[in-house]
Amino acid sequence: MIIAENLTRRFGDRLAVEDLSLEIAEGEVFGFLGPNGAGKTTTVRMLAGLLAPTTGRAIVAGVDVWAEPQRVRTVVGILPEHPGLYEKLSAWHNLKFYADLYELSNAEAQIEKYLTMLGLWERRFEPVGTFSKGMKQKLAIARALLHNPTVLFLDEPTSGLDPESAKTVREFIVELSQEKRTIFLCTHNLYEAELLCTRVGLIKQRLIKVGSPQQLKRELYGRQVVVELKEPIDLSRDLQLPFVHHMHTDGTRLLIQLDDPEAQNPLLIKRLVELGAQIQFVREQDRSLEEVYLELISEEPR
Amino acid sequence: MTLKRIKTVILKEWREAFKGGKAIWISTIAIPLILLGISFFQLLQFSDLRNIPPEELPPVAATLFLVPLLYFLMFPLVIPHTIAIYAIMSEKEQKSLEPLLATPLRTEELLIAKALASVFPAVGISWIAFGLFLGVVQVLLPTAVLELAWQQLGSIWLMALGLFAPLAAIFATLASMAIATRVSDLRTAQLLSSLALLPVLLSAFFLVFQHLMGKPMLLGLLVLGVFVLDVGLVWLNAKLFRREEILTRWR
Repeated sequence: MIIAENLTRRFGDRLAVEDLSLEIAEGEVFGFLGPNGAGKTTTVRMLAGLLAPTTGRAIVAGVDVWAEPQRVRTVVGILPEHPGLYEKLSAWHNLKFYADLYELSNAEAQIEKYLTMLGLWERRFEPVGTFSKGMKQKLAIARALLHNPTVLFLDEPTSGLDPESAKTVREFIVELSQEKRTIFLCTHNLYEAELLCTRVGLIKQRLIKVGSPQQLKRELYGRQVVVELKEPIDLSRDLQLPFVHHMHTDGTRLLIQLDDPEAQNPLLIKRLVELGAQIQFVREQDRSLEEVYLELISEEPR
Repeated sequence: MTLKRIKTVILKEWREAFKGGKAIWISTIAIPLILLGISFFQLLQFSDLRNIPPEELPPVAATLFLVPLLYFLMFPLVIPHTIAIYAIMSEKEQKSLEPLLATPLRTEELLIAKALASVFPAVGISWIAFGLFLGVVQVLLPTAVLELAWQQLGSIWLMALGLFAPLAAIFATLASMAIATRVSDLRTAQLLSSLALLPVLLSAFFLVFQHLMGKPMLLGLLVLGVFVLDVGLVWLNAKLFRREEILTRWR
């Protein structure tokens, strides 16, 4: 659905994005992570036909972005960092304006559908300037969806929202992906990225890594099993298990690195019991995406 | 390019501008009403026109009609600059340009729509005000006065209101828009436009018109000059209204 080939963008001497290549499938929620100034917004603008790349090309929803920028703008929807709404106009007039720019034949039905879905229908004729930040964000999401785009670029969709509104927006994103829309999600909220994204890409001018959150964690830390014991045991003798690469003992807690816990855990537990261990719990050590992100970003030169 | 999208943007500009505050109302309604009031007041000075011998009517008619005409020709310079600046600055302040540029709207459609949203009211108000003035003349003064004025000044009126007014409105609009694209807040834009642009325009305008009374040929040259300036400003604004320029340089 989104193919980027060697996208590079310079602003004068400053390199904003370098040689970015990426493929995102239909219906995928792709998280785009990176520090401020890493090139996330520039990438989105290049993919949405707003900025031309210095070199490289992109195909979005089957459209060559820079051969047909006008057409690509009819198949993508954008939620920018700032809602960018007309504050003196009502929610209805904001959406009607955009519906007319997209020349929608079913404008009023679409407006009603999204305002109702996002809980803004009752306040449709009030000026947007009187809305809370969360309501503005919801209205901006409605605007991005109005023309039924197949690809959505969402920049910090839950930024500044209260927990309840953020949850509503996250559930909405899941619904959208179930409708087979492709979602390109720029976010600093790594919990959200882990929760929503099938894959994430880390960028700092160039694309550092792409993969599912789970895959990235495993690549960086391997798979670790935590065994909680009732009492400490003497493990001075070797476990004599060839698949155990590394083991760390911390009182009653054992941290063991394995390649394939699903297959190797039964053997490990059997051996520990043979050695006299009284096992209380066995679980896989969960690393957060935040740890992965910080590790990978810190390895990159400034 | 589609007229429908241009019309959509123009209607949005008007809806937003007239909810935008006092400055727009003052420049589009209050100033024209004041100048129209002054014109009517001047008409009262000629209330004894019925007693003037017919041979003295021509110079009186010229004075009677040319001074108000000057007022009505100021509207295209005064009215658009507030609306034009607001049209750009409100987009910048509300950060609404990115979602707008993400639609199929072409940048040339955006430029044309924003310009026409200022030019239409300016020219329309000039024409309506002059029409009202003529109506009052018709009611208050002998019919012969208006007929005489038309014979003497018809070509000047047509050229001034039909050509000069729209071209001057385009000039004031495009110059204000160019200023607005390069400054970061509404007040600075208004200040620059009011202090730098309007006095220069209005002084030049009055100087030129003092010498043009009753000289259609010279007025024709002025119209041509403003047209050339407009072409230059269209070229400048076309450069300023490129999608990348708007996203990366408009602050």
